[in-house]
This record gives sequence, structure tokens and C-alpha cells, in this order.
Amino acid sequence: MTTSLWGMDINVWANAAIRLQIIVLVMTVVVMGLIWAERRILGRFQQRIGPQKTGPFGLLQSVADAVKLVGKEDLRPKNADPWTFELAPFLVFIPIFMGFVVVPFIAGWNISVLELGLLYFVAISSVNIVGWVMAGWGSDNRYAMIGGLRAAAQSISYELPLVLSLVSVAMFAGTMNLDEMVRQQAAVPYIVWQPMAFAIFFIAALAELNRAPFDIPVGESEVVGGPFVEYSGIRWSMFMLAEYAGLFIMAIIGASVFLGGYIWPFGEELGRGWQLMLISAKAGLIIFVVFWIRASLPRLRIDQLMGYSWKVLLPLVLLQVLVNGLILVNGWSEVILGVTGLAGVVALVTITGRAANRPRSILARPAAVKVEAA
Amino acid sequence: MVTERAREFDTQDLLINVGPQHPSTHGVFRMVLEVDGELVKDVIPYIGYLHRGAEKLCETMDYRQGIGFMDRTEYLAAFNAELSYVMAVEELAGLEVPERAQWIRMILCELNRLSSHFMFLGAFGVDTGVMGTPFIYGWREREMLIDLFEEISGDRMMYAYFRPGGLAWDVTRNFKERVREVIKSSAQGIKDFDGLFTENEIFVARTKGIGYISAEDAIDYGMSGPSIRASGVPLDVRRDEPYLKYSEVDFQVVTGQHGDVFDRYACRLQEMRESIKIIEQCLDKMADTGPIMPEKMPRMLRTPPGEVYMRTEAPRGEYGIYLVSNGGNRPYRLKVRSACLSNLQALKQMSVGLYVADAILVLGSIDIVLSEVDR
Amino acid sequence: MTSEEATQPVPANDFSGTIWAEVDRALSGITARPEAGVKDVIVHIPRDEVIAGLRRLKADAALHFDYLRCLSGIDREADGIEVVYHLYSTDKKHNLTVKTTLPMDDLNVATATTVWRGANWLERETAEMFGVRFTGHPDPRTLLMPEDMTDVHPLLKSHPLAEIEVLQGEGMGYPEEGA
Repeated sequence: MTTSLWGMDINVWANAAIRLQIIVLVMTVVVMGLIWAERRILGRFQQRIGPQKTGPFGLLQSVADAVKLVGKEDLRPKNADPWTFELAPFLVFIPIFMGFVVVPFIAGWNISVLELGLLYFVAISSVNIVGWVMAGWGSDNRYAMIGGLRAAAQSISYELPLVLSLVSVAMFAGTMNLDEMVRQQAAVPYIVWQPMAFAIFFIAALAELNRAPFDIPVGESEVVGGPFVEYSGIRWSMFMLAEYAGLFIMAIIGASVFLGGYIWPFGEELGRGWQLMLISAKAGLIIFVVFWIRASLPRLRIDQLMGYSWKVLLPLVLLQVLVNGLILVNGWSEVILGVTGLAGVVALVTITGRAANRPRSILARPAAVKVEAA
Repeated sequence: MVTERAREFDTQDLLINVGPQHPSTHGVFRMVLEVDGELVKDVIPYIGYLHRGAEKLCETMDYRQGIGFMDRTEYLAAFNAELSYVMAVEELAGLEVPERAQWIRMILCELNRLSSHFMFLGAFGVDTGVMGTPFIYGWREREMLIDLFEEISGDRMMYAYFRPGGLAWDVTRNFKERVREVIKSSAQGIKDFDGLFTENEIFVARTKGIGYISAEDAIDYGMSGPSIRASGVPLDVRRDEPYLKYSEVDFQVVTGQHGDVFDRYACRLQEMRESIKIIEQCLDKMADTGPIMPEKMPRMLRTPPGEVYMRTEAPRGEYGIYLVSNGGNRPYRLKVRSACLSNLQALKQMSVGLYVADAILVLGSIDIVLSEVDR
Repeated sequence: MTSEEATQPVPANDFSGTIWAEVDRALSGITARPEAGVKDVIVHIPRDEVIAGLRRLKADAALHFDYLRCLSGIDREADGIEVVYHLYSTDKKHNLTVKTTLPMDDLNVATATTVWRGANWLERETAEMFGVRFTGHPDPRTLLMPEDMTDVHPLLKSHPLAEIEVLQGEGMGYPEEGA
């Protein structure tokens, strides 16, 4: 007995619905865990304790917060644009969760294996910026608007290095299927051959996720939370959910594409539990570094951020793509790839260091300066 | 003539209201930024949200009661504020302060400078965008200092410990050991901040070259303290017109060269090291026992008619007390010359033409305490 | 129009160790009367000449008072309001207090912002606290007081301190009650 709905077997729909449920449930729990972990880890970095009273080790703190947020009044400013304002959280939230479709957690556990999984991922991960701009514009708040525009500028700038760093790996792997890419790393993870691509991926991912030191759109000390300054309750928690879900998905993708996912170094025969442990450990390492950076680095300025993307990251990653192409076409040894990648990392560090330590120049003032009557 | 097409692309400047409730205005300060995209075109500061009329209130109180008000004008460096006031009263009344009391005053003022600068470092770190870490670092060291102040004066912020003529009561018996202990921890704290900020590429890239003010402008605006010294003006009341025992200790007036945000930060950090040097010398020279008040103190302090402008070097700059007496036991007029008020005047000059994020840093770098600005 | 207090004895010529001689030279042509202060020399200059005098003090090479420490007012009730300028020289390291007295019925004085830009806010504060009008001030808004509160001048002695004064006044050592 098969009934069809909109031209597809009802079982397909049921299947999709169940998978969707699983994503949302698992992700909510993971995000709560991440928030708890961030608070505890930051607490350790800052010589304080962090949440500890709610449940064992404060584990239930996030649950308590979630319950509180759900119970809060959903406020909308009087002058806000109702549709833009209310839809914005969904546009931030949904694309992030759609990204999970292709994430290769462990062998055979992804929701769906797409042949062009990587392309799908980068495409879907940049959609949420629409939500940010909508939130910034719709709130009718100037901080929110500045934050939203900053988010747009930043996201567009860092999309390119992010995509190109993944492209350089895809060139090498010869596939865009994420599962296939992981399986190719059974012996050697791609970070060995493409260290610079990994460094650039990590930096660009920080910027994509609006994490420190690139948290310019939400900079607490400047724009007081940026696009979601006017949000409260459940809508605000959707932004938070999206932020941490995005962090998690980025970490899993990074671990899968560069660090050998669930497969390296123990091979494919490992039990599922161990595979899950392995991928969690790798993703956890990346997430830990993200938290660590948040605890120790100041925020960049918007022009420095843009300059870093367009003047440093983009040329270097383009060069990497070029070199990869040259090596692959000529069939040269993979070792050259690793060497050039390492040289790229050295170049990246040197250029960054020089840019930061260049002799100071007092910024020229525009002619429009109104100096008080002297 | 604006053509039709040009008008189409005419942009409008955006007014952003920063404060009085904003995470980085360090209190109830409000400034309206006129921005063109991300560039600041004009800054209009508004103050007065914390005006409590301390000057007027002091006119109705006798000299000893006024000490508490001075604490509250400058709550992050209350010892320094009290010092100015009690010295103004002493100057008018012709009181001679015992030597030991002067040494203790000096140690406490320098310790207070340390605690105030730690507070600055923490708050400034948050302004630059590090999530909480510098704040806790600064707080940790400040806590040590404040614990010591509490042991001595009985209060953590509003000490009211200096009295015209000397001190309210003697310090604890283990005072010297405790101070040595605390400055050791402070020295480590300064080193920590060196590592966290001075060697941090992003911090350096963010702070160098912004918020520039020239030496001439800084003098013209009447800036003082580390904010003017960063522009290369060696203006320090402690050295230029020594009070207490500053002429007997050896210290350097730290000056910067560039007059930008980084120099203002670096001056403060270096100044803290100098403070530690001063405290060490004071501890060596101070007698273990001795009087802390003149032997003959009148029960009711009266001053002859006259006026005095007493200035001291507080952490944020010159803290002046202009005390006018008509005879009797109350000030006829008391004016608090606030360093922050004068420093804040230069805010516009320093931040026009910068990015919004930098304007926040410039505001942080002059280290305002709004209760001192508004009084 | 005198600001001098009857109780303040002004010895005629004990300014020998002070910078009064220099100041007198710099202010030639301007009416100036010295007075000994506890720390600094006080110079009284009439209202009409005070800005010219201040400018001369700033420009003079030997004095070079380039730093305005403080600008404030004193309400002398019947004797009018004194506007006090505390000057300092950042390179010569000396101090001077300049005073000018305004009669109560005409509280106008030229602004000192033309001499030091730092006088701006200090004058705004003095203006709102005492009702002094600084003519030619570039930004004559209130500073600490609410924007629309331009008719109340709290630091005038005629301004009451509300009930608080009464409550705290009892039991306080006012001079007439004795120590």
C-alpha cells in the first residue's frame, strides 16, 4: 500500500520527517552542551568557576536557561518591520540546520550522501547572512543595523577564502562527496598535504561564525550585540542555537575534510562508538581552540578584517589553488604539495605578523573635521 | 550645484546614541556619534547624569564631614581624592602633618593608583573586545589591594581614612609585610598584562596610531595625567610641585611619544611599575612607630579666611581642590577640579575621523570615572 | 566694585619672592592688583580687561601660562561673583591665580575659550552654576544640569539646599553654635 504525496512516496516524506526530528533533537542537546562547555572553559581561562550549581557540574544550566528563554515574552519593538523582524531568526536558523544533511558524522550516519556535498554545504552555509541583515534592518535599531551591515560585509569577504580553501582540498581529492573525502584520508589526513588551506579554513570559519576575534557584527563593546539587540525570548534563543549549531557543523566539516574525520588514524573497521568518539574528539579540539581564542584575543576593526581577507587570505589561497592545479596536471609528487602548503603557512604567519607590527601611522583625518572654535 | 544624479546618491549621516546605558561608556556617560558608514564625523558628549552637587553639599558640612564626599567623587582612587582635600584644609589651617603619616599617605595613594590602573586595564581590555579575561586579571590584583585597604581603613572603596592633620587611626601592625606581599602580586599582575596586551598583535594593531592628540592640543585642553604624558608632555604634579615626601623618593615621569591610544595604555602600565618603586622606597624610609596626628589638634577645626588651590596627581591626572574659607569650620566654596572632565573635552578632537570601534577605544583610553566628571 | 575681603590683609610689598614682578611687567597697561594667596599669587583684573590680560600672560615668553588648571566661580553675595582662573606653565612650572569680579546685576564676562580651548566645559559649568554669562562662548549649553534648567543656579548662596540642609543642619557644628 503506497500513497503518494506531491508526487513522492509517502514513506519518503515520513523518512525525511523522522530524520529532521533527529537533527533538531540532537542538535538542541549538542548546542546546550556546547554552551555549557564554553562557559566552563572560559571560566577556567579566566580563573573563575563558571556554572556549577544547576545539576552535576552545572550541566543543567543550559536547560534552565532554555526554559527561561522559552518562557520569556517575545517582544517586538513598535517601529520594527513585523515580517522582517519575525522571519529573520528562521532565516538564520534553518540554513544552518539544513547544512547537517551532508555532514559525515560517522560511516553511514549522515542524513544523506550527496555527490556534491561540499558544494551544497558552502552554498547553504552562506544563506543565513540574509537572516542577519534582515534582523539588523527589521529591528529599527541603529546598533542592529550597523551590526547587520557589518555581518553582511564580513560574511561576503570571508566566504571566498573559506570556499577556496575547501576547493583546494576538493581538487586534490577529486571529489566533492564529503563521505568519499573522508574515506580517502584513511592513511594520511589532508592537513598534511594542505596545511595552509586548513589554516585559512579555520580563520575564515571563525569569521563566518562571527566568533572572536572576528565578532565584529555582535561586538558587545561597540554595537551591543548587533543584529539581535532587540530580540528576546524564543527568537533570541534561535539565534544562539544557530550560532552554536554553526560552530558545531563547522568543526565537524573541518575535522572531516582536513583531520581525517572518523577514519584516520584507525581505519574504517573501527566500531561505531569509537568512530563517534574519534570525530567528537577532533571536532572538540577545534571547538576548544575557538573558545581559547575567544578568551585571549581582542577584536579586530572592520577595515583590518576586510583588509586581512582581501589582501592576505584571498591571494594566498588563490595561489594554493594555482599550485594545486599545476601539481595535479603535471602529476608531480604529493610531497611538493605538502611543502608548498607549509611554505604557505609560513608566509601567512609572516605576513600577519608584519601587518600587525608595521610602524604606526597616525590616521589622516578627513577634511570634514569640525574643530571647535579656537 | 548638486545635480539630480548626485542627489540620488546623497547619503545621510547616521546619529548613534551611545549611552547612558552602553557597555563601554564606563558609567553613565552619553555621547552622540554622527557616523558616515563606519566613520565618526562628529562626537557630542553629554555628561551630568551623575551630578550630585558634592561641591554645594560640602559648603554645609564641616571640614571632616567633607572627606566622605571626596571619596565619592572619585571612587576608584578615593585615597588620592581625600588626599587633595585634607591637604587643602591643612594648608589653610596651617597644620603640620607628622612624617610617618605622610609616608603612610604616600604608600596608600600609590597603592590606590595601582588599583585604579588595574581597573583601567581590565575595562580597556573589554573595550578592545577580549571576552572578560583582562577584566578578571585586573580584578584579581585589585582585589588584593582592596583587601589591604579594608584591613587598614575598614572600607573597600570609600575609605575616609585621611584626616586633616594626619590619619584617622594607625595602620595595622603588619602593614609593611602586607604591603610588600601585595605589591609583589601586583608586579606579577603587571607582567601578566604585558603578556596579554603589549605582546598581542591584534591589540597592538588595534590601538597604535588611533586617537592621536598633539602635545600642544593636550595642553590647550588642559588634559593631565597619563593622558597628557602619552603625548610627550612630562606633566606630573608629584615631580613638578612635590607634596608629601615625593621629593625624597626616586621615580621617573613616564612619557610617551605618539599621543595615541597605545601610548596612553603603555604609559599607565609603566607608571604602575614606577608606583611599585615608590612604594618600596617609602617602606624603607618609613618609621615603624610614631605619631600619625599632630599633638595639638583643635576639637573643632577652623581655618582662617583665605583660599588655596591644592593639586595632587591622582591616577587620572591632576585632582585639584579649590578651597575658599571665610573663617569658621566650613568651606565657603569648594571646587573640585576633575582631571577626567578636562580629559574628556579632548574626546572629540581625538575621535573624529576614526571608526566607531576606535571611538570606543579612545573613550576607554582616557579612563574616565563619571562620578569624578559630574561630581 | 571690590572683591577684596575686609578680613584679608594685603601687605603692600611682600611680593618680592614671587612672580608678581614678572606678571606686573607682562600686564603693563592693564589694571592689576596683587594679593598674597596661601600657595599662589592672586591677581585681580577688572572684568573688561581680564581676557586681554590672560592672553598676555599666555603669550609672554617669560611667564608662558599655557595651561588652564581650573576655572571656577565664587559667590561673594553682596560683592558679586568672582570668576577664578588658575593658570600654570607647563615648561616654566609656576602658578598664578587670576580673579575678576562681576557685579550681581551684570554677570557678563568675555569667554576664555579664545585663550585656552580647555576653558570650554569649565565655563559652561560655571555659567550654569552661577548664572554667569560668558559672552562669545562657542557652545553655551548646560553641562551638568538638565538642558532646560537654565534659570536655576545651584551654587549661588541664595539657592536653598532643600530640606536636607534642615535635617542635617541640626546638631551640626555651625560657627555661631560654638565648637
